[in-house]
Amino acid sequence: MEKGGRDGIPISVDELNKLKGTADRARKNVIKMQFYDQSIHVGSSLSSVEILTALEFKVLRDSSDPINRDWLILSKGHAAPALYAVLHEKGLIKEEELWKIQDISGLLQGHPETFIPGVDMSTGSLGQGLSFGIGVATGIKMSKGAGRVFVIMGDGEQDEGEIWEAMTHAIARNLDNLVAIIEMNGFQLDEATKDVKPKEFLPEVWRAVGWRVFNCDGHDIASVISTIDEALKSKRPAVIFAETRRGKGFTPIENTKRQRTVPDVARQFLLNS
Amino acid sequence: MLQGNFSSIREAFGRTLVKLGEADKDIIVITADVGDSSRASYFKEKIPERYFNVGISEQDMVNFGAGLSAVGKKPVVVGFAMFLMRAWEQMRNSIGRMNLNVKVCVTHSGYSDSGDGSSHQALEDIALMRTIPNFKVVVPADAAEVERSLPEVINDRGPLYYRMGRDYSPPITSTLDYKFEIGKAYVLKDGDDLAIIGAGVVLWDALKAAEELEKMGISTAVINLPTIKPIDHSTIEYFARKTGRIVTIEEHSVIGGVGSAVAEVVVKTYPVPMRFVGATTYGRSARSQRELLDYYGITSRNVINSALELIK
Repeated sequence: MEKGGRDGIPISVDELNKLKGTADRARKNVIKMQFYDQSIHVGSSLSSVEILTALEFKVLRDSSDPINRDWLILSKGHAAPALYAVLHEKGLIKEEELWKIQDISGLLQGHPETFIPGVDMSTGSLGQGLSFGIGVATGIKMSKGAGRVFVIMGDGEQDEGEIWEAMTHAIARNLDNLVAIIEMNGFQLDEATKDVKPKEFLPEVWRAVGWRVFNCDGHDIASVISTIDEALKSKRPAVIFAETRRGKGFTPIENTKRQRTVPDVARQFLLNS
Repeated sequence: MLQGNFSSIREAFGRTLVKLGEADKDIIVITADVGDSSRASYFKEKIPERYFNVGISEQDMVNFGAGLSAVGKKPVVVGFAMFLMRAWEQMRNSIGRMNLNVKVCVTHSGYSDSGDGSSHQALEDIALMRTIPNFKVVVPADAAEVERSLPEVINDRGPLYYRMGRDYSPPITSTLDYKFEIGKAYVLKDGDDLAIIGAGVVLWDALKAAEELEKMGISTAVINLPTIKPIDHSTIEYFARKTGRIVTIEEHSVIGGVGSAVAEVVVKTYPVPMRFVGATTYGRSARSQRELLDYYGITSRNVINSALELIK
């Protein structure tokens, strides 16, 4: 596995600290969202905060032209609260909408929908984002566009058969504008991933299929950015295995399969943090 | 006027698709390793740069098409009807939910894959596809109607499921002169006492039944309903009122298919007694599609018996 590392980080210390502040605010807002809705996936969302912050603030290039902008596909759609919190930091989603998540009068759905600003693919059913991303990346190349495609998946999601169909397909298309990010947070809905099905072989499989394989610390923004930077230099499809923790930064549930806690515990946690 | 004079459904599909692709550079053909069987591979011969065989990967194929359409392409996803159903959830959650401009064109529906047997015979797909919001469902009657309808289908905007068989294509519409429109039913034969409404190649059996019924003094209308969704309410209601009796015929399960769709309209507009001719269980292997239609009773004989039940 190729190390992303911290060498040649294309970011200043000031900017990095600013992004850390952004991620911290997004994290707190995700934790806060469970005051308003008790069924959101807080644990899975907190695993994604730094990756989403790095992508939205430092990597993605915007354009009104669909073939000359970058695409972000949150294939692990249950981490939608993290995406919404980061999009709020970007000014695309109003604060009051965050508190109306999953409310019948609100904009924000339990899983991403393309009618929400900043969402590029409606997801929620696992295993579908990579195939969609291959379609977007192929269409961009056919039209000679400069857009790049980023697909975020979970480790549990790798159980899906469509992932195999897509990972082999991406190699056949010879895409150099596609980066997959797999969050290895160690948990899926019922159990620790290792207790469900083995996952440790995954990087070997992706490499054997023909992907450039990288790894990074998924909670270290500098590591995420520099690894994505390296991955984008690849002439082949690239995958980043991001080491993350379920519930990162929210100690009552961190590194467990628990998605959330009772509002009082969350409130106390935020008061003390 | 039609140019091809095709006698095979899939030949008409393959050849017409090439013509459309030559005229529109946004059209992309994608198949899951059934290019030759579906005749989509004619597209590869002429326009290889816009043809993708993704391998035996129907779920990936559907989302690949969804992604291509998101950046303005016009993907035509081609596979066997039965095996597209394993990607039903992808069609529902990606194509339908995002209302993307993807055409899902299937061959080998119904009993048309006669030899391969029940694993390959899709008798449930109309029911499954017409429940997906935003999806339209079109079932051409014969090879001539494939040639006539495919340009309208490909140039329509949004998700659409286009259901074809294989080679069997008795003449139903080839001598007719009409412009195909999505959402419109076509009167193949007018009549006063009974209306037979159906879709696909089994309309040939409907026409044959009507001929026999006329001999018995029963004035029988035959309606070609190529668009199952959105359905032509006014034509169905008109014939319900005019004839007071409807028999439907389809090469599909009688649960949730063409007959059910017609009944949904009839009960809301002008309820009349109905009978349903179609499949009731899995198929099996045979040497021809015709043998299977006869074996499972999707025949003019059964249409006549159903009609006589209603008229007695």
